[in-house]
Amino acid sequence: MRYVTTLLPASFIAALTSVALVMIFLWAPREITMGDVQRIVYLHVAVAWCGLLGCVAMGLMATMYLVRRRPGWDHGSQAAGEVGWLCTTLTLVTGSLWAHEAWNTWWTWEPRLTASLILWAVYAGYFLVRSSIEDPQRRARVGAVLAIVSMADVPMVVMATRWFRGMHPVSPEMDPSMRWTLLVSVVAFTGLFSWLAVVRRKQLSLAGRVLSLEQQSEGVVRWEP
Amino acid sequence: MTFVQTTRTWWWLVHKDLLREVRAPRVWPGMLLLGVVLALVIEMQVDLPREHRTSLVGGLFWLAAFFAGTVALDRSFAGERDDGCWQALLLYPVAPATIFLAKTTANFLALCALDVVLIPAFILFSDVPLLASPGPFLAIVLLANLGFSAVGTVVSALTNGLQHRGGLLVLLLLPLISPVVLGAAQATRLLLLGETGGEWWRWMQLLAGFAVLFVAMGALLFEFVVED
Repeated sequence: MRYVTTLLPASFIAALTSVALVMIFLWAPREITMGDVQRIVYLHVAVAWCGLLGCVAMGLMATMYLVRRRPGWDHGSQAAGEVGWLCTTLTLVTGSLWAHEAWNTWWTWEPRLTASLILWAVYAGYFLVRSSIEDPQRRARVGAVLAIVSMADVPMVVMATRWFRGMHPVSPEMDPSMRWTLLVSVVAFTGLFSWLAVVRRKQLSLAGRVLSLEQQSEGVVRWEP
Repeated sequence: MTFVQTTRTWWWLVHKDLLREVRAPRVWPGMLLLGVVLALVIEMQVDLPREHRTSLVGGLFWLAAFFAGTVALDRSFAGERDDGCWQALLLYPVAPATIFLAKTTANFLALCALDVVLIPAFILFSDVPLLASPGPFLAIVLLANLGFSAVGTVVSALTNGLQHRGGLLVLLLLPLISPVVLGAAQATRLLLLGETGGEWWRWMQLLAGFAVLFVAMGALLFEFVVED
């Protein structure tokens, strides 16, 4: 059973990610103007999408926590947030690399870049507050409210280019093979980061159980690392 | 509870906060003084020709307003905790959303008072006529203050009682209110440059959208914020 629930999805995601990497570096044609640097886009779009998805998932699971009050939802919300933050960091790094080649600068105050940086800071604030609260129930409740408020930043990032006429390409013309590569890349990395979030959620749940057992057995058996 | 009773309760809670501030000023003097000092320090650094200052002063004004405003937001719940009034307030038979709206209104009024001091200070120090178009500028001020006070009230209540409360409040608040800061700064810049066309309206729509969103979110979530 363990093979079905753990190894099978992991193998499938590993295979899909490998296919995506082959398509990005070997199958997709070389772009005429930017050359090989353009291949960053396949990774950049995928991680940017996962960063936004992480924020929405974090907020939705936080809502479920406030409704149901089960720690599992809080663990899921935290895991989604951590993966989302990782993806947003990767978005800023890959975006900066791309900007250096395309716009001849590492950073510019372009609306979508600014909105993405704000999203990164919102994630950072969320984790900072969580880490400053010791009581698990209070931490989960405060984190849930913040996660829901944080979702307000998502439409800002998505619509930034359309609302404020930024330099980010909205829907550029692409060769069909490039479009397929982008699609496979987005699906593969969404799978990979979702799997990471699921693993992290399990880890957080186990840590919670260990803590609970430790508290129950306090005074009887004290485990010292 | 009927609408009239809720409105009356809301007003008494706002009245309580204002009366406390009148009888024993704790928040407003510090906030207003910080605002003036920030205006002075910022303007001292901006040694530019007038046309450049016109496009900059909007952003600088809102930066000073939001930084000084965090003092009011920080103290709005700390005062309740210090005097042990918070538990009494929660025991009062009133919906948490009403408490949120009352606190937001009190913070909104504090921010408006701050703007009343900051606007002449910036006009004096920068020599840029912020009130050249008073109507549209007033609309920006009201929307920005509403959005800021709504999200600020939620974050202030959340961080209240935590260690390093002041630092956490600023760290959390600034990214969350950045759409409001951005909207207010850009709308003010375009207004001062006399460009009140489609782009100005887009920024105003953004400000209005976030103000409504933050008030609605705060009213819905405050029940969970004040649980303990």
